[in-house]
Amino acid sequence: MQERVESQSLGNEIRDKVVSEVSRFVVGREKETEILLTCLIARGHVLLEGPPGVSKTLLANTFSRCLGLEFKRVQFTPDILPLDIIGGFVFNLKDREFEFRKGPVFTNILLADELNRAPPKVQSALLESMQERQVSVEGHTEKFPFPFMVIATQNPLEFAGVYPLPEGQLDRFMVKLNFKYPSVAAEASILERNLSDIEISEVKTVLTRDQLEELVKQVSQVKVSPEVLAYVAKVAEATRTVASLALGASPRAMVQLLHCSRAKALLAGRDFVTPDDIKEIAIDVLTHRLTIDRTAVTSGRSGNPSDILMSILDRVEPPR
Amino acid sequence: MVAFAVSSQLVTLAVLLALDALLYFTLASALLSRRGRRVNAKNLAEAFKALEAALKQAVPDLPDGFTWGEALERLRSAGVETDGMENALKGYERYRYGGRPLPDVDYHEVVMVANLLGGVGARKGGISILGQ
Repeated sequence: MQERVESQSLGNEIRDKVVSEVSRFVVGREKETEILLTCLIARGHVLLEGPPGVSKTLLANTFSRCLGLEFKRVQFTPDILPLDIIGGFVFNLKDREFEFRKGPVFTNILLADELNRAPPKVQSALLESMQERQVSVEGHTEKFPFPFMVIATQNPLEFAGVYPLPEGQLDRFMVKLNFKYPSVAAEASILERNLSDIEISEVKTVLTRDQLEELVKQVSQVKVSPEVLAYVAKVAEATRTVASLALGASPRAMVQLLHCSRAKALLAGRDFVTPDDIKEIAIDVLTHRLTIDRTAVTSGRSGNPSDILMSILDRVEPPR
Repeated sequence: MVAFAVSSQLVTLAVLLALDALLYFTLASALLSRRGRRVNAKNLAEAFKALEAALKQAVPDLPDGFTWGEALERLRSAGVETDGMENALKGYERYRYGGRPLPDVDYHEVVMVANLLGGVGARKGGISILGQ
C-alpha cells in the first residue's frame, strides 16, 4: 500500500518536473508535453499535426533530452526506402558474411518528420514495427530498446507529393495532437526567448530509467471501476450510432483510450481512473480514428470529428 | 340601526380573521416547503448526490455528460469558492471510483453549495449567475 502511494506521488512529481523543464525551452506547450509523457508511460505513439514552425520538432527533441533518452530524427522523403528506417543485412567484407545493421528506428524516441511524405511501403514498415516493437528481416528478429516511442509529424496543408496515412495506419497512433499557432502572449514570449540563443544541450535530465520503468509498470495497476468501464463502452456505442459518423471508434481505440486514461490518472497522483480522465483525453485519442459521413456534411451537419465527439461526450452521462 | 352596525363589524372581523389565517397558512407552508428542500446529508456520498440533483435542476444548460471536474469549474467561474469542495471531491472520488471506504472528510461546503443552488427540489433555472 505504502509502495503504491509512493509511486502515485512519483507520477505527480515527475509530471511536474518534465513539464517545467520542457517549458524552459518550448513556450506554451505544457498540455502537449503532459500528453507526450502520458503516451510514453502508456507505451503509445504520438502523431503531431500542424503547420511548419510551430515547435513540433523542438518539443520532441527537448522532451526526449529531459528524460535522458536516446533520440533520433528521420526526415521522410518520397524516395526513402524501408531499409533506410528499419535497417537490413549488409555484407561484411572482413568477416565475409552478412550482418544486420540497425536502422535509425532502434532508439528510444524516434522523430518521424513529415511521415506523410514517405511512400506507403515505408509508412507500413515503420507502423508495423511500431506495433510489434521489433523488426524482422529475413528471419532475423531484433527487439527495440526500452522505452520505444515514435513521435511522427505531418503537415495537413500539403497536398502535392504526399501520401496521406490511411485509417488503419492512423489507428496505430495512440494520440494525435493538433498544433495550432500560438496565442499573441505566447508568441511574444517565444520572440523574447529567441533574442538570446537557445542551447538545447542545456536541457536537464529529470527522470532516471528506473523511475520510468516503475511508472510504466504502475500504469497497468491503475484501477478502473466497473461503472467507468460501462461509461467508456457507452461512449463507444454512441460514436457508432451517431448519424454524422460513417465509422465510429473501434474496440481497439477504446482500449487505447482506457490505457491512456490510466497513465493520465497515475501522473495526476491517483491509482484509479475518473470520468474526468476519460473525457479530458478522449478528443486526442479518438478524433483521428473517426470517419465523417460525407452525406451528413452535405446535408448541413457538422463535419468536424472533434465537435461531433464533444457533443457525444456531453450527452453520455458518466458515473457520479 | 345599532344591530346592523354590530353585525357589519362582526362580518369585517370575520373577514380579517380569515385573511389572517390564510396569510399565516401561506407563510407556514412556504417555510415547510423550503425546509423540505434543504439538503440534509448524513455523509459525503449523500452530499454529492444532493449536489448532483441541485446542479441538474438549477443549471439547466449543464450537459447530461458533465463530470465533477466540469461542474466545479463552472461553479468557480460563477465566483463560488470551491477549495473545500475540491478536497471533499478527492475523498469522494477515492470512494466512488477507487473502491476505498467512505472517508471522514469535511463536506459542509458541498451541502452549502447544494443549498445555495436551491436544495434537492430546486426549480429549474434557480440560480441565474450560473448561466453562461
